[in-house]
Formats: sequence, structure tokens, C-alpha cells
Amino acid sequence: MSASIEYYCPCLAASPHPPPPHLASSSYSFHPLHNLYFCEECDAVRCNRCVLVEVSGYFCPNCLFEVPSASVRAEKNRCARNCFNCPICRNTLSVVASDPEGNEGRMSPIVSNTLGEPPFFLFCNNCRWDSAEIGITFEKPTGLAAQLQKFEDSAPDALEFEHLKEHFEPYLRASSSALPTTTAHSHHHVNPITAAASSALARDVPGVGKYNPLTRSRVGRDKNAGKQEIPDYNSRVEIGTLGALGAGGGDSDVEFMRRLEDMAEVAALEQRWVNSWTASLRSSDLKPLRIPLQVKKSKRCPACRHILIKPEQKSQSTRYKIKLVAANYLPAIHVSLPHAIAAMELMKRSPSLNKSLSSVVDDPSVTGLMPGKTYAFHLAFTNPLYDPIQVRLKKVQPKPMVNTDEDHDKPRRVPFQVSLPTAAIGIAAFAEAWEYEDDEEDMFGLEEDDLDMDAHGGTGKDGRGKTRTVGVIERRANTTVISGEVILTKEARGNVRFNMLVSYTYRSDDPEPPEENEDGTPSRSHAAPKAPEMKNFSFYTVVDLGPVVRREESRSEYDA
Amino acid sequence: MPPAMRDKITIHSRAVVPQDAELKGDITIGAGTIVHPKATIFAAAGPIVIGSGCILEEAVILVNRRKEVMRIGDDNLFEVGCRVESPSIGNMNTISARARVHHTVRISSYCFIGAGCLLVPTEDEILEEYTVVYGPSAERRNWSGRGKLQEADLRRKHADYLKEMLPKFNRLRRGDGT
Ligand SMILES: [Zn+2]
Ligand SMILES: [Zn+2]
Ligand SMILES: [Zn+2]
Ligand SMILES: [Zn+2]
Repeated sequence: MSASIEYYCPCLAASPHPPPPHLASSSYSFHPLHNLYFCEECDAVRCNRCVLVEVSGYFCPNCLFEVPSASVRAEKNRCARNCFNCPICRNTLSVVASDPEGNEGRMSPIVSNTLGEPPFFLFCNNCRWDSAEIGITFEKPTGLAAQLQKFEDSAPDALEFEHLKEHFEPYLRASSSALPTTTAHSHHHVNPITAAASSALARDVPGVGKYNPLTRSRVGRDKNAGKQEIPDYNSRVEIGTLGALGAGGGDSDVEFMRRLEDMAEVAALEQRWVNSWTASLRSSDLKPLRIPLQVKKSKRCPACRHILIKPEQKSQSTRYKIKLVAANYLPAIHVSLPHAIAAMELMKRSPSLNKSLSSVVDDPSVTGLMPGKTYAFHLAFTNPLYDPIQVRLKKVQPKPMVNTDEDHDKPRRVPFQVSLPTAAIGIAAFAEAWEYEDDEEDMFGLEEDDLDMDAHGGTGKDGRGKTRTVGVIERRANTTVISGEVILTKEARGNVRFNMLVSYTYRSDDPEPPEENEDGTPSRSHAAPKAPEMKNFSFYTVVDLGPVVRREESRSEYDA
Repeated sequence: MPPAMRDKITIHSRAVVPQDAELKGDITIGAGTIVHPKATIFAAAGPIVIGSGCILEEAVILVNRRKEVMRIGDDNLFEVGCRVESPSIGNMNTISARARVHHTVRISSYCFIGAGCLLVPTEDEILEEYTVVYGPSAERRNWSGRGKLQEADLRRKHADYLKEMLPKFNRLRRGDGT
């Protein structure tokens, strides 16, 4: 559970080699396999930090209505149908009818289908807030957003903003026609929604001056920027009187707080900051909020701009038109520590210790690594391809560090030695489960060279004459498990993390001379890895075997 | 816990209690109350008396840890997996799924305990009418009561449906008094 592996995306680095894993900053370059994409065009791994993200459509997460991008701005990025969030707990509100008047006493004896009657109001099933509490009711149960829009639009701050826009409108129009708007970046192959959004962001705001760190100091003197005279703006309401109007702020808030009797009268921060404007402090002023829209995103390769991810347009669909994820190209690797698993099994079996199992799992002294000891670790490779692959592993030797602090102690020693199998490891093709039944023998015969006793490393540290357990230990279906070994020095501390280069050869799908008769199952016809058009792909990973536990100081170091 | 009480189970002829429900101790179940299979009613220290029209869903656990009678009123809904030890409960309350109510809490009427809420005060307290407990930190509010007639109507339909359906798939249990 503490052991893990992550894959490297070289986008942040100038060199194709990964940063040394003991640097904290290296974690930004490594990602779990399921977060990575693969560009077939560039033959490269891509991550969420380097792909280009585009909006492919807006929708309401509640009613799943696909909002045309043209109306997103007019509707202020929120659902304009019947979707609202509870102002108290942010659950989705439902529209309900009022109880029939009159028989207030015991519940009505008639069980009828149409018990409710207008007016309608919004009701929260989670905290039982209802909009009638703040005086919002509706004659019809439809088109509520439009009915609520008038509350939104008549709020003093919304009016003030409109007023401001009106004030600057003529000036903005005049100067934008004067200044040719620089289309900052040339977007090829970009869909219109993204183009509109990014050009709106990149547009120069006249009078503000382009943000440029080099010229920033001169902006004050730049007469060009603010040349045109803008008449003084007169606000609609005086700031001081705003509080008296109930919009909060200033003295009225102080007065309100002074008379406070119950904490619940004050709107919590979470309840207030979802508002577009500064909201009143009083929880009685909280209004239902239209639900914010969400987007479906598509992703492109940063180098060649080919699409890697393209969701289906329909908001109900969770499928993708294009989905080039790395998990379909690179072998999945799972790391485990057999000694930790064995310890856990033992715990589970002995019932006397069972009660403290959860605490044992967290206890690093049971499942962790001790300095000065040697441990085996398992790497299970799972092949996602329809053809068998050959994998080679190489531990990346940490480069002798250029120590800035002048090696004051002894020359820095590597705190651990890792041994990995050096021979190529065959991994069978991915296939539907039924296909394995009778092919198993001829496909997965253990090859002699797999058990590779003379492991890489050769430090000869363990003169105990123990047979090393480095090599292939299990094959089943399209998964091959290999064992490696780590020797910790007495001084080892921190996490045992090392970079590993994984190279694999696979049969290329490129169109080939027709001499081969391609069947539906090419994997079977080429059991031998000597097919003519083999390709090679390499990627770096970081293997984390978990922390080294030092008996004396373990606790404090762990909690830190 | 004191030695278990002798079982004495009284079930109204119009109540629906399957044999798969686990009943222990001195228990009285009123007319029209529906108990789902796999619900547990455990009168550990004192008797439990359940009124009419209540619904106890699967994996609900009602426990009486006190000597005095645990009285549950009418038309209460106990949702899946909740555990309630309140010494007294009024009418028309909803205890949502997986909520837990400690024996220090008495519930009046029209209260609503949200899903997964833990109500475990160290000192005795009474939930006033229309109290709503909600959210991960069991915050409290007061319900306006708007819509309670419709809710009662819905509760009744819920019970009517179960009264029809449960006996089709479960053997019913009768009280031992008859
Ligand atoms: Zn990247
Ligand atoms: Zn909506
Ligand atoms: Zn709510
Ligand atoms: Zn590309």
C-alpha cells in the first residue's frame, strides 16, 4: 500500500531524463498512469500539465441541458431553467406546491393525488429550507429562473455594475476601433468556443495598458494609454447609504452584529462566497442560486495539436469520441512488497491481533523497510496491447550529485542498491478471457533466460551467498510478475524511490507489405518475437517502495 | 447491560412484521406500522412501544437501553440503516439513512434527522418540534412546516404500498399474545 509507481512526462524538462526522485519538485513530473494520455502522432506520453484544454460544450450538471455557447454569457454562466442550489447547504432545490389551506389540524383523511396547490416554492430536501421563508414564491412551477432573474437584476450591486458598463461603453467602443486589437496567439484548429473565450481574455483593455512586466514601470507616464478623457463616474448610490438599503456593509453590519442573538443569523463564509457580489452578512438575505454551468473539455497534444480526448457532445453521455489514454499503450505496472503483504496476512489470521488491524496497517514498523536489510519487491506488468511485448528494465543510476555544500562529510553514498532483471521479459497479449483457455501453454512457456541470477548492480555487498531472487516469478494471462531486490544501507532514511527506465518492443501496426496474411488474430501468428516490424518505446517511471523506518526516531519523522 | 428481558411480542393485526425481522424483549407494534425484513428491534433493558403508521426500513436498529418504556409515536419513518436509541419519539419524524441517535436525545414531533448525521450529545436533551439536523457536522435549523400535509400524505401512500407488497414476498410474524 505504501509502494507505488508513477510515470514520467518529460514536458517540464529540457532533457528527456527525469529529475532525481529525491528532489521534492520531481513529483510534478510524475503521474499515475490513469492520468496520462498518449499521442500516436508524436509517439509520446502527454500529461494534464502539457495538453491543451478546450471547452467543447457547456451544460447544466443538474438538468443536463446543453447550453449553446452563444447564450452562456447572457445567462451569466448559470442554468437558466429550473435548477437552483440551496443557499444554506447548497443541495439542489426542488419545486413544490403549497399545502391546501384550511385543514391545518390533523392530516387530511383523504389520500388524493393532487394535494398541492399554488403558490409554488423552492424546497431543500436536505436542510428543509424553503424559499417562502424569504418571501420567494411562484404562481407557476415553470420558468423559475426567469422569474428569479428580476431579483438578481434588481440587486443594488448588479444595477451598479450595469451603470458602470453603460458609463464606459462609449469610451470602450471608441478606443477599440482606434486600437487594432492584437490577436495575441494564432490558434489553428481551435474550435470557435475556445477561440472566443481566449481572444476575450487576450484582448487589450483600453486604458489599462497591456500587462508587460518590462514596461510596467513606465505605464504611469505612458500618455498613450489614458489619453482620451473619461468623464467622472457618478455612482448610483452613495457608498454610505448602501448599508441602510439592506445591502450590508458599514454601520448597518456593525449594528446587526451588536444585536446578534444566534450564530445562525450570520451567513457562513461558504454560504456567501458562492455569490458573484459581496453578499450581506445576514443568513436571512441568502437567496437561492442558479446552478453554475459546467463544461465538457477536449484535450490536444501540445506539439502536434492532434486531439487526444474528445467527449461525446451529449451531456448525458459519459463516452468519448476520441480517447487516447496512455493506459492503452504502456504496460501497467503494479508494485508490491511481499514482506508487507505477508505481515498483513498474518495479522488478519491471528484473531487476537485483529482488533488493532487498522492501526497495524498504518504502523510502518510492520510493513515498512528497515535500514540495513534486504527486501524483495514485485513488479507486475500488464500488457494492454493485442500483441505480446518484450520489456527491459533499467535502473537509472543517480548521478553523482554536484554538492553545493562542498561534501563536508564523507562522499555521499547511495542509501540503497536496487537489482532488477536485466533480460527481456515477455508479456503475453491482451485478449478476451476466453481466448486464454487452450493457448496458455505455448504462449507462456517460461524461457530459460528469464531467471536471471546474475542481476545488475554487481556491488557484491551481500557476501552471504544467498541466492538472489531477481527474475520472473509469475505469468498469468497478459500479466507477468517479476521480482527485484533492494539492499538498504545502515544509513538509509527517507523514502526508497528510484527512477526506472522501461523499454518495450511491440509489433507495429503500420501497414506492412502484403506478404503476411493478416488474420483477425495477429498475436497468435507471431508468437515468436522475431516479427520484422518491431518497434521500441521507452518511458521513465519512479518506483516508490515506501519509507525507511528508523526504529529510534521513526515516530517523529513519520508524523512530520 | 442487564440480563436480557423475556421476549413478549405484541403485534397489531394490521401491522406488517416479517419473520425475518429480529425482535427481542418486550415489544408492542401498533396498527399499520411496517417493519422491513432484517430490521432489528431490541428491547434490551425496558419495553419498546411503537405507535401506528411507522415505517422501519431494512437494517434499522431500535434499542432501548433504559428501564422505562421507549415510546415511539405515529407515522415516523426510520430509513435504511439508521440506529435510534431515543427514550421517546413523537409523531411524523424522519430519521434518514444511516443516522445515529443516542439515548440522550428525546425527539418531539416533525423533526428531521439527515442522512448519516450523528446525534450523540453527552447530556440529555429534547429536540424541539420541526428541528432539522443536517450535514456532515449535524448542523441544526428549524423547518417552517410548509408542505407537511403533503409529506404526511406521501408517508401514508408509502405505507399503503408496503402493506400490499411486503406480504407477497415475506412470511409475516404474529404476536405471541394471540
Ligand atoms: Zn506533460
Ligand atoms: Zn439546469
Ligand atoms: Zn439546504
Ligand atoms: Zn502529438
